[in-house]
Amino acid sequence: MDFRRAGTTDEIVSILAEVGPDATLLAGGTDVMVQYLRGEIAPKLLVHIEQVDELAGVDEADGRVDIGALTTHLTLSEDPVIRRTVPGLAEAASQVGGHQTQAVGTVGGNLCNASPAADTAPPLLVADAELRLRSAAGTRTVPLDRFFLGRRHTARRPDEVLTSIAVRPLPSHAGETYLKVGRRGAMEVAIVGLAARLVLDDDGDVVTDARLAVCSMAPRPLRLPDAERLLVGSRGEPEAVAAAADAVQETTEPIDDARARAAYRRRLVPRLLAEAVRLCMRRARGEEESWS
Amino acid sequence: MSLIGASVPRGDAVAKVTGRAVYGVDVRLPGMVHARLLRSPIPAGRIVTLDVDDAWAVDGVLAVCTADDAPPRRTGLAVYDQRLFADDVVRYEGEPIAAVVAETEAAARRALEAIRLELEPWEPVAGPEQALDPATRLVHPHWAEYEVAPGLEFRRHGNVAAEMISDPGDVDAVFARAPFVVEDEYRANRQYQAYLEPKHAVVDYQGGRYTVYVAHQYPFNVRDRLAQILGVAVSRIRVVCPTIGGGFGAKLDVGLEPYAAVLARKVGRPVRIVNDRLEDLLTCTSREDAIVQIRSAVDEDGRILARELTCLMNCGAYAGDMPFLASIPLHLAGSVYRVGTARVEARVLYTNTAPTGAMRGVGGTYLTFAVERHMDHIAAELGMGRRELRLRNLFRDGDRMLTGQVIDQAGTLRQAFDRMEQVAPWAQVTAPRPLHGVGLAALIWLTNPMPGSATLKLNEDGTLGVVTAATENGSGAVAMGLTQIAAEELGLRPSDVVVLAPDTDAAAYDAGSQGSRTTHVVGAAIRKAAAEVRRRIFDVAAEMLEVSVDDLELVDGTVGVVGDPGSRVPLGEVARTATFTTGPIAATGAYRTPMPAHDPTCATGLLFPSFPTPTFHLHLAEVEVDPVTGRIHVVRYVVVQDVGRAINPTGIRGQIQGGVTQGLGYALFEQLDFDGARYRQRSLETYRLPTAVDVPRVEVELIENADPAGPYGAKGVAEPPVVPVAVAVANAVSDAVGAPFDRLPVTPEDVLAALEERRRRP
Repeated sequence: MDFRRAGTTDEIVSILAEVGPDATLLAGGTDVMVQYLRGEIAPKLLVHIEQVDELAGVDEADGRVDIGALTTHLTLSEDPVIRRTVPGLAEAASQVGGHQTQAVGTVGGNLCNASPAADTAPPLLVADAELRLRSAAGTRTVPLDRFFLGRRHTARRPDEVLTSIAVRPLPSHAGETYLKVGRRGAMEVAIVGLAARLVLDDDGDVVTDARLAVCSMAPRPLRLPDAERLLVGSRGEPEAVAAAADAVQETTEPIDDARARAAYRRRLVPRLLAEAVRLCMRRARGEEESWS
Repeated sequence: MSLIGASVPRGDAVAKVTGRAVYGVDVRLPGMVHARLLRSPIPAGRIVTLDVDDAWAVDGVLAVCTADDAPPRRTGLAVYDQRLFADDVVRYEGEPIAAVVAETEAAARRALEAIRLELEPWEPVAGPEQALDPATRLVHPHWAEYEVAPGLEFRRHGNVAAEMISDPGDVDAVFARAPFVVEDEYRANRQYQAYLEPKHAVVDYQGGRYTVYVAHQYPFNVRDRLAQILGVAVSRIRVVCPTIGGGFGAKLDVGLEPYAAVLARKVGRPVRIVNDRLEDLLTCTSREDAIVQIRSAVDEDGRILARELTCLMNCGAYAGDMPFLASIPLHLAGSVYRVGTARVEARVLYTNTAPTGAMRGVGGTYLTFAVERHMDHIAAELGMGRRELRLRNLFRDGDRMLTGQVIDQAGTLRQAFDRMEQVAPWAQVTAPRPLHGVGLAALIWLTNPMPGSATLKLNEDGTLGVVTAATENGSGAVAMGLTQIAAEELGLRPSDVVVLAPDTDAAAYDAGSQGSRTTHVVGAAIRKAAAEVRRRIFDVAAEMLEVSVDDLELVDGTVGVVGDPGSRVPLGEVARTATFTTGPIAATGAYRTPMPAHDPTCATGLLFPSFPTPTFHLHLAEVEVDPVTGRIHVVRYVVVQDVGRAINPTGIRGQIQGGVTQGLGYALFEQLDFDGARYRQRSLETYRLPTAVDVPRVEVELIENADPAGPYGAKGVAEPPVVPVAVAVANAVSDAVGAPFDRLPVTPEDVLAALEERRRRP
């Protein structure tokens, strides 16, 4: 295996143009190195991109927030713009792995690894995230809900690098959250992760817009439009939440694995959803700090 | 000021936290080569083809070894049932079939891939209940031909590798007329010792002797077992122990040493072998899974009149040390609480799973789980308070265990309940709060009695060398306990005491770091040696100072005259004078705890007949249950523990915090179960050890009821804090949810299921 270091996005793009599918991009390494040591991947070339500074950081302009692909989980969980505009993402980033993982792991890596359990995916899905992918041929934009094609499988072409993620900030009268279930308080691959973003009417009463997404309930992280529709127009009452939970059960296909049984995952859905709706509504009404 | 009871910082701490300590896996010798094992990919089957020719051809390969060119004998600890390599039949996933040694580890891996192995898979014998079924295939069809270690007597039959039965004969009659009978079944899964440093060995063979470098808990057992396996005299083997990265019982028997030894002799170069984490997890002698059935006859006042306890213990494919552990059910079925009369049966079952073995708290963890969960059940049946029921049946001074052993200080248990009441008043902590629960669990545990020794030599600069094979397994027993005892005995600073790392060529026999024995047993040996060293020092110093030996004392590295501060001579001067006149000052002390008397007719197959140097424990856990996820948060944990005498209170608190942490892992996180006969958890991601955020700060209350034979009264400390944890937590969760949790680990899945079940009930 060869190893190269790229110092700029242009360099990454030109290496990928030259080597394509034989190259694996290495950012924080929290997935790539583990998979390499387990023999799950055998790249001919590792391209170390962690030090490409232009791909890291958070930028807020014109009602959009741009997140550099190399922004670490630690930065996401502490960044004031993220905590104000996509608090669910900050909440998720603070629960990825442990402190060591958060210090080096990046949001771009989390998405491109396309684990069914990617913690940052659900909060980005509910924030209408769009990914910018750059190659020698130019830049294209892919909505996140069309990026994940399956387990460890994305719409990124081998000659493309994910450069940034654009998200829609939380509007007013809205609240969001990410709830992660694991056995331990840290170092967990989500048994289930659920992100919710609810927008209320001016009275803080009726749900006018709802966005829900889950991880670890299917081969890829999923938006849940059917469940969302059942919450819109509701006041978050138990019947509406129960109906939405039923819709989640229908769209998802959890499995038994060494981390948990499918039955437990199914059992969690209505409980997590009720808790998420309760939290989002309280946060939308300003009854509770978004996240601290 | 006395060093006994002083929290002296341990001397090995800085090297460990700065990464300078040399561990077993760090050992490199000139010319060293690398070995790897071909392990069975299936739990049960027959070897159809094993063709190693292509492996020999791989670049860098020096030798390939199979059952054909390994020592032919079966060996073991109690039953001689195991060969070095599987021959013909494989009995567990991960069982070694062949070994290769090559110039590099990569070449050794390539060679393994070149071996052609064909297996005919058999339906595995998956668990102890299946093993017990007469229709089940025998894991060892030739079990009856196996030898048993000299001096051991116990019954074996079919898949039952060992049986221990105690039946006083009057139990059924008591049950027949009992007002209440309460019956339960408890199950516990395995627990992986999960030390940081995987199993490893470097062996050098020269001049007809094997030198083994391995970080191990019991170097003399490596010597003895290697000699047994290789068929050579023990004097042909030298074991040298670098710093150990954890053991918890899994490094008491040989592991990879024999493979490295066979290969080192074959290729004439030092051979290193190290498990990767998957190999280690799959093949480590984990704590056994077990099923405990328990039944008690009780009167209206909550007095236990009789008990029946049956325990199935899964030893996996080979018996290992499990026949000895079959004694533990008898010790724990009727200690702590009076149970009248009791019938106890324990069976160790062969299955097609990885062999199990000793882990911190051997057997005690799930037996205490059974006994103390059962106490809560009895209390519920009688409508009696859980603490009250325990106090009514609690052991008192002089009460007898089921073996007939008298427990002189059993009244310490009452002291422990009283102390607990001061720090966590029962009425207060059990005040009803939703999804909040409290659990109690008490324990009598032993201090391992096996022999140890130490040679003390006064260096010519007045410092002290200690030659012993006592091992510092990380607990601080050597770095703090023995060091402080030696320093105290001779009026030295702990930093003036240098303890040699274990080397079986240098030190006399020591039974290793097991059962909290090191401070107690070797500490006693050090005191004996120190008395002789002190006598020799005084003899020489008396002449130097021209006073009587009766007037001398050891203070701050000098010999002084009592009542005459001006008259003293540094120990270094005494040592130099002695060395060049009467000879160097050195002395050896040895000690073994006498086994307490028991009734030899109380049982058959009782290979470990009594509980020497008993200690007394009470644990309390407070939990909160998350209604959304079923997750269990341990919000408070209190340990009251009798330690005899706290040599180093900080060290003891660390051991208790660590033991409780390991117990919380067993209670809540560390799932190690089977898909058929293969482990479902195959990495440290799915085999979840508790992290720092999962563990509360443990509150520790020490009781110091001195043991007459222990050094300064010290008893064993470090093993037992792991034992009552799982049941304290399970009792607390059962209390919080209002439903019994009778299986370990207690999982959020089970909690959620129980919460939903409770909601459905009227």
